[in-house]
Amino acid sequence: MSKIKFDRRDFIKASAASLFMAGVPITGYTKDRPPGNIAVILLEGGMDGLTAVPPIGDPDLLRMRASMTPTDYLTLNQFFGLHPSLANYAALMARNEATVIHATSFPYTKRSHFEGQNLMEGGGLSPFAEKTGWLGRALELAKLPGRALSLDMPLILRGYNDNDTFFPASIRKSKRPNPNLVDMIAMSHQGDVSNLFHKVAKKSANKINIPRDATSLAKYAGQEMARSDGPVASVIRVREFDTHANQVADNGEDMQGRHAIQLTIVDDVIAAYREGLGEAWKDTIILTLTEFGRTVAANGTRGTDHGYGSAGLLAGGSIRSSNVIADWPGLRKRDQFEERDLMATIDYRSICAACIERSLGLDHDRIASEIFFDPQLPRLYDYIFS
Amino acid sequence: MNESFRIAQKLGLMFKPSDPLPKDIEAWALSQLQAASPALGQAYKFDPIEPWPNNLQPNLKKRAAMWRLFRENVKKERERRDGQETEAAKQANRRNNLMRDKDELKFAHRNIYGDDQLRLRFAAFWANHFTIGNTFDTGSMIGHAIDEAIIANLNGDFANMLYLMTTHPGMLTYLDNVWSAGERSPHTKRCRQRPDCQAGLNDNLGRELLELHTLSPAAGYTEADIRNAAMVLSGWGMDFGANTQEMLEIAKTTNHWQAFKPRYAEPGLKKVFGKTIYAGKNGLKQLTDYLASNEHTIQFIATKLCQHFVSDEPKQADIAYISEAWRQSDGQLDAIHTAVIKRAIASDEAKFIWPMTWLFQVIRLSDATFFKGWEDIYNYDEDIMNTRKIFAELGQSFWSSRQPDGYSNKKEEWLSAEMLERRIRFADAIYSIGRVKHSTTAIMDRLGVNDTTRQLVASTNSRRHKFIALMCSPELMGLSYV
Repeated sequence: MSKIKFDRRDFIKASAASLFMAGVPITGYTKDRPPGNIAVILLEGGMDGLTAVPPIGDPDLLRMRASMTPTDYLTLNQFFGLHPSLANYAALMARNEATVIHATSFPYTKRSHFEGQNLMEGGGLSPFAEKTGWLGRALELAKLPGRALSLDMPLILRGYNDNDTFFPASIRKSKRPNPNLVDMIAMSHQGDVSNLFHKVAKKSANKINIPRDATSLAKYAGQEMARSDGPVASVIRVREFDTHANQVADNGEDMQGRHAIQLTIVDDVIAAYREGLGEAWKDTIILTLTEFGRTVAANGTRGTDHGYGSAGLLAGGSIRSSNVIADWPGLRKRDQFEERDLMATIDYRSICAACIERSLGLDHDRIASEIFFDPQLPRLYDYIFS
Repeated sequence: MNESFRIAQKLGLMFKPSDPLPKDIEAWALSQLQAASPALGQAYKFDPIEPWPNNLQPNLKKRAAMWRLFRENVKKERERRDGQETEAAKQANRRNNLMRDKDELKFAHRNIYGDDQLRLRFAAFWANHFTIGNTFDTGSMIGHAIDEAIIANLNGDFANMLYLMTTHPGMLTYLDNVWSAGERSPHTKRCRQRPDCQAGLNDNLGRELLELHTLSPAAGYTEADIRNAAMVLSGWGMDFGANTQEMLEIAKTTNHWQAFKPRYAEPGLKKVFGKTIYAGKNGLKQLTDYLASNEHTIQFIATKLCQHFVSDEPKQADIAYISEAWRQSDGQLDAIHTAVIKRAIASDEAKFIWPMTWLFQVIRLSDATFFKGWEDIYNYDEDIMNTRKIFAELGQSFWSSRQPDGYSNKKEEWLSAEMLERRIRFADAIYSIGRVKHSTTAIMDRLGVNDTTRQLVASTNSRRHKFIALMCSPELMGLSYV
C-alpha cells in the first residue's frame, strides 16, 4: 500500500495535548442531552499501540523497534502515523469522526491477561473484585439495555438484568425452542437462570440468520442499536492480539503479520458498525479496550511480550473533531515503564467515563463514584467531544 | 436424584441404562481412579462399541512426520506443483495428515462410551488446567497431550504431569517457547552480530507457568521471576515439523517431547521465586518440581479442584482437606483425587455442569447416538453434524482457539440466554436423531429425580418436550437439587 498523506489541517489539534492523570473538573456540559449509543470492541490479548498508531515523529521509535514498525503507515500528523490495516479508520479521522487516545491504559501494571481483562471489563479497583462490569453498571443506572454479540455474557455487560446476548445458532435437527416449553423450564429454575430462560422464550420468536464473524455481528449490532426499541450498547470481541511470535511475518512483511491481520478485523468491524447504524451513527461512540500494550522492543521471536501503555481507538458521529490525544511519554529506555513498556499517561477509565457520559447522559461524578468507584477519576470529556 | 446419580453427575458422566448401579457409591467412585481407560468408540453410527483402532492414534513421532508432510504439501499447493493444487489433493492432505478431527471425535467417543467416567472427568479438569489452545499448528498435538501427558499419568504425581505438560510440544508451541533463546545464549550472541538478527527471550510460557499452571498471582512473584523462568525454559522445544536429522544435530534427540537445544539455552544459574536453578536441560525439571510442591501451588489448585467438583464458592474446610492430602502424599494424584471425591460426596450442594460434560451426560443417560463413527468422520451425514461443529455450537471444546486460562469452573461465566438456548437445542437434536430407546419417565425413575423435575416434565405435553424439559431441568444442569 502506498503512503497516504492527509492534509495536516484535517487532523490533530492536539497531537500532544498536555494532560491529566490528575485533572480538574471541566464545566459546561449539559445533562439533558438525549442518549446516544455506545459500542465496545474488546481487543483480547493486548493490542500493540505502537503498531496500531506508530509515533513516527519520535526519534526513538526506529531505534527501539525497527523490525516492528510498519513502513507503509498512513500519516496522521508530523508525530503519529496509522497502521495501513486501518485504512477505513483513517478515512473516519479525515471526516472528524474518529479520535485516538495514545499512551493510555487501565491503571494496571502486572501484565497478566486475566487480571488485566478482568479490570478492563469489570472496571474495579483490583482484579476480580467486581462481579459486574462497568458498562453493565452504567446501563443499570441509565435503565437502558445493552447486548453482547457472543454466546456468553461478558463481564463488562453484567450488572443489568435487561442486558442480553446474541449469537447465531445452527444446530442440525433442532428447532427453534417452543416458547411454552421454555417458559415451563424457566419457571422450574430460580433467580437469574429463570430470567435467562424467559429471555430465551421471548427471543425464540425471531429468526435471525447471519454469519458469526465479527464484521457481520457488528453490522447486525449497528442495525439493532439503530432501532428505537433496540439496545443502546453493544459489545464485540476480537481475539488473538497476544502476538508473542510472528507479530510481523517471517518475510518481514508487516501486512502478513498477526497484528496486521487483527487490526484489519478491527477496521472492518468499525466500518460494519457504521453501515449497520445508518442515521444512528451520528449519535454513536465506538471505543476499543485492551488489557495492556506490549513491550517497546521486539522479543526474540518476531513478536512482543506483555506491556503496559497502549492506544484506544474511538470512532462515531459523536466525535466532532479528530485528534490524537496523548501526553507523550517518550520511548527512550528511561521513559519506558520499568525500562520495557510504553508508559501510560492517560487513565483509560476516564475515556470510558467520557463515552458513558456522552452516550448515556450520566453525570461524570456519578460515573466516577458509582461505576468506577473512584470519585477522583479525572473528567476528560471535553478533550474528546468538544 | 438418588445418591448414585448425584455422585455420577458431580464426579462422572452418568450411568448408561445398561450400567449396573453400584451398591456402595463411594467405594465405586474411589475404585474408578484405577479403572482401565481404553478409548472406546464406534466405526459407524449405531455400530457396536469397540476400542479405537491403533492406526488412528499415532504416536508423537508419526504426528510430527504427518505435520511435516502436511506443510510440504501446502507449499506445493501454493506453488501449484505435483497436482497438489487440486481440490481433491488439498482435501486429502488435510484428512490424512491433520489429527484434530480424529482426536476430537475420539475424545467425544471415549466420554460417551467409556467405563472410566471419573477418570475422564479428572482428565478434563487437568486438560483445562493445562490448556493448549488451537493455534492451528497445535491442532495435531492437543489430543496427544490429553492422552499421553494427562490420562496416562492420572495415577502418577502432579510434578510429573506438570513437567510432561510443560515440555509437551503442544504447550511449547502454543505458548511460543519453541524459538525463545536466552539473551546470553550462543545462538543469540552469534545472531546479534548480524544487523537483521531476531533472537532473544520470549516470556509467554514462563509467565503462564507461574500464573496459571502453578503459583498463581496471589503468590506475589515478580517480573524478574517470570523472566528467569523464561530463561530456564529457553532452549526447550523444536519446530514440530523439523526433520529427524535436523533434530539430531540440534537437540541430540529425535523425540519431540525431549527437544532441548543447548545453543538456545540461557547459561548460568537462575533464581525463580527464591529457588536457585542450575543451567542445562535438567534445570526445568528442577524448576517444575519446586513449583509443584510450593504451598501457593497447592492452595491454588486445591481451590480450583473444589470449584470444579464441589462448589462454585468452596468452603475453606474443603480446600484445606484437599491441600492436606496433597501435602501428605507429596502431590500423588490418586491421593488428591481421593480427597476431591470424598469432599464432593460429602457436600450436598449442586455443582453446575459444563456444557460439554452435560452433553456427554445427556447422551449417556438416554443411550443416544449423536456423534459419527471414526470411519465416517469426513462423510456427510444428513442427521449428525461434524464433531468440530457440535462443539463449536455448544461453545466448549478442548480443540478450540482460546486463551491459556481455559474454561471457567464457575457457573457465572456460563449463564447467558444464548448458552441456555443451546442446551434446549441440543436436547432437541439428541431426541430427534439419537434413537433414544428409553422413555423420559423411565430415565426419571432410574435417576430418582426430585419433585421440581417431575412437575416440570409433567407440565409439558409431547414426548419430545418431556425429554428436553428433563435434560434442561435445574437438577440435570447441576444448578439446584431442590
